[in-house]
Amino acid sequence: MTIKVLIAEDDANIVESLSFVLGRAGFEVSSALDGDEALHRLHDNRPDVMVLDLMLPKRNGFEVLKAVKADPALRSLPVMVLTAKGQPQDRRLVEQIGVEGFLTKPFSNTDVVEAVRRLAQGLTARDAAERGH
Amino acid sequence: MNYAALVGPKIRDRRRALGMTQVRLSASLGISASYLNLIEAGRRNIGGSLLKRIADALGLAVDELDGATERRLLADLAELAAEPVLAAHGLDAGAAADLAGHHPGWARALITLHRAWLDRGRAVNALSDRLRHDPFLADAVHQLLTRVAAIKSSAEIVENVDDLSPAEQRRFAAIVGGESRRLADLAQALAAFFERSHTAVRSLTPVGEVDDFFADHAHHFPGLEEAAVTLREAAGVALEHDNIESALARYLERTDGLPPPPAAARFELACRVAELAAGGEALSVEIQRATTLTNDAARRRARRALTTYLAAAVVMPYDAFLAAARGLRFDADALARAFGVSFEQACHRLVTLRRPGAEGVPFALMRVDASGYTSRRAPLPNLALPRHGSACPLWAVYQALQSPGATVRQVAEFPGGARFLLVARVIDEPAPAFPMPRRVASLMLACDALYADQTVYGDGLNLASAAPAVPVGPNCRVCTRTGCAYRQEDPVIDA
Repeated sequence: MTIKVLIAEDDANIVESLSFVLGRAGFEVSSALDGDEALHRLHDNRPDVMVLDLMLPKRNGFEVLKAVKADPALRSLPVMVLTAKGQPQDRRLVEQIGVEGFLTKPFSNTDVVEAVRRLAQGLTARDAAERGH
Repeated sequence: MNYAALVGPKIRDRRRALGMTQVRLSASLGISASYLNLIEAGRRNIGGSLLKRIADALGLAVDELDGATERRLLADLAELAAEPVLAAHGLDAGAAADLAGHHPGWARALITLHRAWLDRGRAVNALSDRLRHDPFLADAVHQLLTRVAAIKSSAEIVENVDDLSPAEQRRFAAIVGGESRRLADLAQALAAFFERSHTAVRSLTPVGEVDDFFADHAHHFPGLEEAAVTLREAAGVALEHDNIESALARYLERTDGLPPPPAAARFELACRVAELAAGGEALSVEIQRATTLTNDAARRRARRALTTYLAAAVVMPYDAFLAAARGLRFDADALARAFGVSFEQACHRLVTLRRPGAEGVPFALMRVDASGYTSRRAPLPNLALPRHGSACPLWAVYQALQSPGATVRQVAEFPGGARFLLVARVIDEPAPAFPMPRRVASLMLACDALYADQTVYGDGLNLASAAPAVPVGPNCRVCTRTGCAYRQEDPVIDA
C-alpha cells in the first residue's frame, strides 16, 4: 500500500523538487500551499505523513500543528516540520506542541526522504501492533 | 563652582609671559602684591572694574580673562569626570579648573574625545538594535534561507539523478536559474542596506555642534541683526507697522516671483524672506566663518537655525523689541502678543538680546519634550545645561510637564549658593493627525536671581538671598546634595 505524504509548503519550487524526489522514493505526494488548504486536505483525504512548513500564509504552520495535535482524529498523524525558522525558541515551541521530526532549510533531499521514510515506518510498525499480533 | 581658580592662573601666565613681576603689576593696579598673589592663586573672586583694570594692564580683553568658554569647558570636564568608567581615577573639580586654566588646549582635546566616545557608543548601540529588530533584515534572512533551499533541492536533482528526461532536466535547471536570479537581487538589497547603515553613522552630533556654535556667539549675531534691518527697509516695513505680513508678502512676490500661500503667518513669511538676497548672503557668511561646524549635517542644521534667527530679527527688530521687553518687564506672553509671534519665538528672541552695551536680562533657555529629551539648549556661562541625559528632576522645566497650562516659577538654589529664577511652561504643538498622541514640550527661561526683580516673573516671589529656595543641582551625577529624595543616580565625583 502506497504511503501518502502531504507537503504543506507555500514555495512552489520547493514543492516541485520535493514532490519529485519523494515520488521517486515511492511515496504518493500531494501538496497544500497555505494553512487553510492543509487542514482541509487533512480532513478530506488523510495522508500518512505530513511535511509542514512553519511560515504558511492564511493559517501559519504553528496553528496547523496545534490543530492536528488537538484533534483526536489527527493526533496520531506523524508530522515533520521543514522550516527556515530554525531558532531555538521556534524549535522549543514546536516540540511543546508535539512533533515527530524537525528539519531546517536549506536541506538535502536525501535527508528529507530518509526522515519521511522513518516516520512512515513508525506508522507501519504501529499499524501492525494495532492489528493485534 | 570656583571660577576664581580659572581666572587666577590665566592672570599669572599672562603676567609672566609679559615679563612682569607681581610687585609691578599690583602697583600699577593700586592693590597690594599679596592680594594679587591671592588672586593669581585662585583664592579671591574678582569682577567688575578690578577685572577690567587687570585685563587692560595685561593687554587682554575682559572676556579673555573671565571667559565664558572656560566655564563651559569646566562644565564639560565635570561631565566627563562623572563617567563611571573613570571613577577609579578620583578626578576632582579643583584639578579640572587647573587644567582648563593652564592647558585649555588639552582640556578641549579631552572633551572632544569624550564626545566622540559617547557618539561611538550610541552608534554601536543603535546599530546592534537595528540588526536585532530591523524588519527588513529579519525578512531578508528568511528569504535567503528559502531561496537557497529551493536552489539546493533542484540542483541536487540535476546533479545526482542520472535518468532525468530532457524535459525534467530543463525544468529543474530552470528552477535553479530563476531562484538564483531572485537570490542575486536579494544579495544586492542586503549590500545596499549595509551600505546605508554605514554612512548614517557620524562621529560628532550635529545638534551638539550647532548648540556650541550658538553658545560661542553668545546667541547674538550682529551680522544678521544688520541684515534684518536691511531686509526691513527693502520690504518697506515701517517700525510700528502692524500689517507686516502684506509688506513681507509683497516683497517676496517682487523678489521671488512667486506669491506666497495666502495663509502664511508672519514668522513663516519672514523665514522665506530671510533666505533671499541680502539675507541669504548674510547667512552664508556666518556659515562659512564657522570653523567649528565640521560636517554637512551640522552646517545644514546651523543654517536652518540661523534662518530662524534672521526671521526673528526681521519680525522683532532689536531696538524695538528691547525697548518693549524692558517696558513689559520681559513678559514673554505680552511680547508675543505685541509682535504677533508665538510664546516660544518671543522667548528665543529674549535670549538673543546680547548686543554689548544694549543688553536685556541674560536668559538661558531649555526646551524638553514629553519623554524628558532636551530638544533645545541655550545655557548661560554660569548655568550649565546638560548635553547628555536630563538635568536635575526638580527643575521647573520638568515640573511644568506635570501642570500643562500653568506657568511654573521657581527660585532654585544650586549647591554652591548660586540662585536662579526658573520659569517654565508647556507649549502645545499640533499633532500630525487625529489619533496620534498629543505633542507637548516644556519651555523654560532662566536668569540669575539678581536680575529677577527686573522681570515680571519675579513679582511676588521672595528673592532675598536668605529666603527659602528649591534646593536643586545641575544633574544627579555631578550634584553634591546627599540625602536628596529625588536623586536618580549616585554622585561619582567629590566637589
